[in-house]
Amino acid sequence: MTTDVPATDSLRPMTEIQIQQTREFIESLQEECQTYWDMVSVGDELSRDLHITPELVILYADAVEDYNPWYEGWRMNTWHIEGESPFGGAIVPPVLVSHFVLSVQFDHTKPFAIGSIHTYHDTQIHAPIPVGATVRIATKAIDKYEKRGRRYVRHEVTVTDVESGRLYLTEVRDILSL
Amino acid sequence: MQATRNGAPPADGLLAKDTPVGFELVGVKKKAAIQLMGSRLWGRFNPNHWDPLYASETGLSAPIQTGEMSSAYLAEMCVNYFGRHFFTNARMTCKYVASTFANEVITTGGRIREKTPEGDGVRFVVDIWAENEAGETKTVGTVEVLIP
Repeated sequence: MTTDVPATDSLRPMTEIQIQQTREFIESLQEECQTYWDMVSVGDELSRDLHITPELVILYADAVEDYNPWYEGWRMNTWHIEGESPFGGAIVPPVLVSHFVLSVQFDHTKPFAIGSIHTYHDTQIHAPIPVGATVRIATKAIDKYEKRGRRYVRHEVTVTDVESGRLYLTEVRDILSL
Repeated sequence: MQATRNGAPPADGLLAKDTPVGFELVGVKKKAAIQLMGSRLWGRFNPNHWDPLYASETGLSAPIQTGEMSSAYLAEMCVNYFGRHFFTNARMTCKYVASTFANEVITTGGRIREKTPEGDGVRFVVDIWAENEAGETKTVGTVEVLIP
């Protein structure tokens, strides 16, 4: 019996040098790491500040093909602009900061626990975030539990403006761990 | 859909206070393109999101999208329907019930489940989902939004 192993270029065209660079990059990611379950203890708190630049918003929105002009604080040819939305200037897509929580709840000073899967989020959107704001993303591990033989780690999240302290977003989210 | 000057949704969205329970939202449709799944801001840090060989070695039939890409698709639909109201005092839950694989085409949908008067406005509860071409559900959730 043979098992088909997919080629590196099976989903997109690549030359030999691109394939080699890809395999080398993936090799460079291999590190000894703990499972997320072992990495986190209930009560662990982590916090990081994120400057939400116009370019960061464009990178996020382009990859999900969301071309709403409300999010544009940067436009080709013009470059930095104030932008325009129902709140005045450009604003951040509603769940952009939720995507960055991963970079906080996974302690970025340690090897990433590959094999973990984000399974759930319950997000409260309190206020629009202006493009250009710096936000503080704070996470606290509030539970570790098992369900149907699977292990989950639950965090609560708070996102506030670093300058004004304004509350933008709160969230509860689960990660499935190996 | 109401016309706008530059392709933006209407500021107040497509729903009104008198939109009935049972109304179905027309969602957005996206292809899980491997180039986007593996972009630096999204899945580049984890080859399960973009490399077919690595994904195979970890038991996956193909690379899988990050769940938050589905949440972004669903949020785009909600901004179309709720406009600026989705950015204030709103709630969104998403449960990723199945993986989205490379090259699948995902369509989002929504249906108004409940309406509750709140002050001078109405709070809507909407069931939301994302599914592939075969109708297999990938993400389910709800949104709650107040239209004042």
